[in-house]
Amino acid sequence: MTTHASRREFLKRAAALSVSGVAAPLALNLAALGEAAAATATDYKALVCVFMYGGNDYANTLVPYDSASHALYTAQRAPIALPQSSLANTILNPTIALANARQYALAPGLDGLVPLFDASQMAVLLNIGTLVQPTTKAQYTAKSVPLPPKLFSHNDQQSFWQSSSPEGSRSGWGGRMGDLFAAGNGNATFTCVSAAGNAVYLSGQSAVQYQVTANGSVPLNGLKSPLFGSTACSDALRALVTAPRTHLFEAEHTRIMKRSIEADVQLTGALAGNTPLKTVFPSGNTLAAQLNMVARMIAARNTLGAKRQVFFVSIGGFDTHDNLATDHPALMAQVGPALAAFQAATTELGVADSVTAFTASDFGRTLTTDGDGSDHGWGSMHFVMGGAVRGRAFYGTPPVIANNGPNDVGQGRLLPGLSVDQFGATLGSWFGVSDSELLTVLPNLTNYSTRNLGFMVG
Amino acid sequence: MQTINPEDAASSIEETDKASRKAVTQSAAPAAAQAVVALTLSACGGGGSSGVSPAPVVPPVDSQPPASVAPTRAQAARFLAQASLSATPAQATEVQSLGYSAWLDSQMAIARSSSNVAWLRSKGLAIPDNRNSQVGSEPMLWRKLLSSPDPLRQRIALALSEIMVISISGVANTSFKQFAAGAFMDILDANAFGSYRTLLEQVSTSVAMGGFLTYKGSRKADPTTGGLPDENYARELMQLFTVGLVQLNLDGSAKRDAKGQALETYVQDDVTQLARVFTGWDIDTSVGSADDPIRVTSPMVNIATRHESGEKRFLGTVIPAGTDGVTSLRLALDTLVAHPNMGPFIGRQLIQRLVTSQPSASYVARVAAVFNNNGAGVKGDLRAVIRAILLDPEAHTEVTLADNSFGKLREPVLRFVQWARTFGITDTADEWRIADLSDPATRLGQSPLRAPSVFNFFRPGYVPPNSGIGDRTAPEFQITTESSVAGYVNFMQGCIANGISGLKPDYTAVKLLVADSAALLAELNFLLAAGQMSMATMSTLKAALESISATSATGANNRLYAALTLVMASPEYITQK
Repeated sequence: MTTHASRREFLKRAAALSVSGVAAPLALNLAALGEAAAATATDYKALVCVFMYGGNDYANTLVPYDSASHALYTAQRAPIALPQSSLANTILNPTIALANARQYALAPGLDGLVPLFDASQMAVLLNIGTLVQPTTKAQYTAKSVPLPPKLFSHNDQQSFWQSSSPEGSRSGWGGRMGDLFAAGNGNATFTCVSAAGNAVYLSGQSAVQYQVTANGSVPLNGLKSPLFGSTACSDALRALVTAPRTHLFEAEHTRIMKRSIEADVQLTGALAGNTPLKTVFPSGNTLAAQLNMVARMIAARNTLGAKRQVFFVSIGGFDTHDNLATDHPALMAQVGPALAAFQAATTELGVADSVTAFTASDFGRTLTTDGDGSDHGWGSMHFVMGGAVRGRAFYGTPPVIANNGPNDVGQGRLLPGLSVDQFGATLGSWFGVSDSELLTVLPNLTNYSTRNLGFMVG
Repeated sequence: MQTINPEDAASSIEETDKASRKAVTQSAAPAAAQAVVALTLSACGGGGSSGVSPAPVVPPVDSQPPASVAPTRAQAARFLAQASLSATPAQATEVQSLGYSAWLDSQMAIARSSSNVAWLRSKGLAIPDNRNSQVGSEPMLWRKLLSSPDPLRQRIALALSEIMVISISGVANTSFKQFAAGAFMDILDANAFGSYRTLLEQVSTSVAMGGFLTYKGSRKADPTTGGLPDENYARELMQLFTVGLVQLNLDGSAKRDAKGQALETYVQDDVTQLARVFTGWDIDTSVGSADDPIRVTSPMVNIATRHESGEKRFLGTVIPAGTDGVTSLRLALDTLVAHPNMGPFIGRQLIQRLVTSQPSASYVARVAAVFNNNGAGVKGDLRAVIRAILLDPEAHTEVTLADNSFGKLREPVLRFVQWARTFGITDTADEWRIADLSDPATRLGQSPLRAPSVFNFFRPGYVPPNSGIGDRTAPEFQITTESSVAGYVNFMQGCIANGISGLKPDYTAVKLLVADSAALLAELNFLLAAGQMSMATMSTLKAALESISATSATGANNRLYAALTLVMASPEYITQK
């Protein structure tokens, strides 16, 4: 059974700390609380964000397949359109067919996901993207409602997707969920884990993201063996890089180094205790390598004391202004096998029902082409995958395929019908975030009457 | 097919120089008041002679020593940490004898070393077999950073490469990527002390940028296919290279509306319209052949039939219908350079690359004023801007040295380059077979022209979350992670002991001090950390080093290597103050 992170308990402890009279910054109080609080979750759950940097081309990822739709799609982007004949093996057959005989097929490179869809382990989100509130095209045109700032700008929309704020944001909704659950983990360090470098998605109000590489943590060699033969020098190295400092930059560097050293020991030890995975992850695939490490950390969850974890992995190269017809299929051929292997690994580990992976990206792209590519857009198509997903289904409404039609703001830039906030809230509810906590994790959620899109079990 | 031939393209750049000066002169009047501030402050630097002396925006916290008072050795080393790539005893002595201002002049007067493109050709890399390889890219870049005798120019070129970013592997649809990238770096190198407007034009017409931001080959709208101009460059040119997203005051703060919302600099329509300017640009196929890199090292040309000939309307400027591609580009860049954001937007980023991550508002304002007007009515004179940044009291005063939030993390690339230059890494064969060092787990987590995207390895606005640094920007922390902090130390430990890619350091001078740990540490503190490592740290390290007997040659080496590793791992070194 999932136990909701107890906000009441949380506030009680926060109050207790504050009456101690220590005027520590909020973050420090929260951190102290994290160490003090007892676990509130007894089971294990993990969210895995698979971020496709650059803005994934939605139209060649989830391709309109029925003949009428495919013709409209081709008309908007003939030079880069995938022929209908290339999609025969990747048609998605949902349990309940879409209205108006609409059909979609996956990019051929995603063929490994078709069996997952068929097995109800994957669902598709139609036309999802960043919004502040539900927005109609009339409202967009009249500029009568607030919109996400800096639409179509990479870094701002990456940030907005991950955090509900533009560039400069300090915390993301993955990290803010981590805030709620770090206390329940035996080691708070492994609550928010990125295998893909720094991402605002995983920073919380107090939770700090931990970085691993696809091969695990990086040990400091000078501590592993005596530094140039001298144990005293190794000791000095440890003291030097971890001792408290008064200069703020030095102090922050020290904090990161200290976490690096401590977590390396814990993680290396925990991973060493794993039974090697039988699932084969594709080689020469950086996304697969990262997901392999995530799977290995999940395998070591008990040793690491983890009850709730949020992971972040990524793959770049999606800014397909040029060469889309060549580059995008190659990217799909990385994403598909990587996701399929990850799902196989969680099944092997017996945690398929406890792990939910989902795709995300800066934005969708234009449906129209600039000749051999597509430009920055807005709404997109995304996948959510795992045993707890109500799969073999589409969520949302198939957008009208057009340039400046009812569902796009020109050039086939989709005006999202589903928001990232609703998406995050649906995942959050499954993860164990209470309805009231969701409003702090996803502040714009308050603008939506539908706060659960229904794609998760339970 | 093409509107201009290469000769025209060459002359067009020169004409643009004149045109941009004219534009600058026209915009000089409103900048005059700001220029007064700049002149006042340059007087503090010992180089100004203006009698105009109203109060600066905010009084400097301290004033530089008069030109007659030579900097101390530590002050010289601190200055070199900001202005150069290393601080050898000879360089420090030079700064002490010349003073900061004259030293900058002397650096700016150094003739440019041989170009990247010339070096690539001299190495026999201009062969058809290399059409689809990147061979030579890294050696070319490390050669300049490690050996070019003009460290200030190299420091600035590196800084510029982190503002107007290309990443070699991302230069799309381009053969001979190493040559395209080499020509691009040559542009930054050539214009490091020149006009930002000229730099922008040369960058905007470079094949490397055209390929990286994909406007090379972009065409005017096609009503039959619905194809539209590629917006990539229009967006990033405004967002990153010129004006940024929000309207700025001179001091870099955002202008806000009555509700406190920052005012946007431009809207999507401006992007769409500016994208029409960047149509018709493509490789100049009239030169050389496809088997020779000359086509990717020559400026792009504009092909009239592919250029959008309709009106272009953005940021309040109207480029009339029928304007040709070259003229449209010039007018567009003139418009951007005339924007009031340019000074604070670019000025602040250059301060961050050289001196401090969170410059005071008044420091930004002083530099922005010089960007707006170099004192002779010219906007965007990088020579004047660089002088203003490096001669500013905030960069030098003992007050900021003692401020626990002043300074910046040294970029990993600069730490490595500093080690290599300080200890005489050289390649007599001039091959420089050093690789891409951007893997954070095993190398530096950063490498020139290898950023993951146009947003560089780190963003100028990055604020580390949940840190004691608070609301301050600290860009380099974006790549400072649990993996990279360990990977860097491990990498340097290997370099220190073994050299890099077969190139060996020359430790002759410091080896003379090995027997005396205190003297050795004091010298390394000066050479690497501008004397900014504390007595307490020195004392800890001295005790540890003396655990290694230096009586044998091996022992002496180990003591030296350990000392170097410890210093370069130290947070006091990693933070440049």
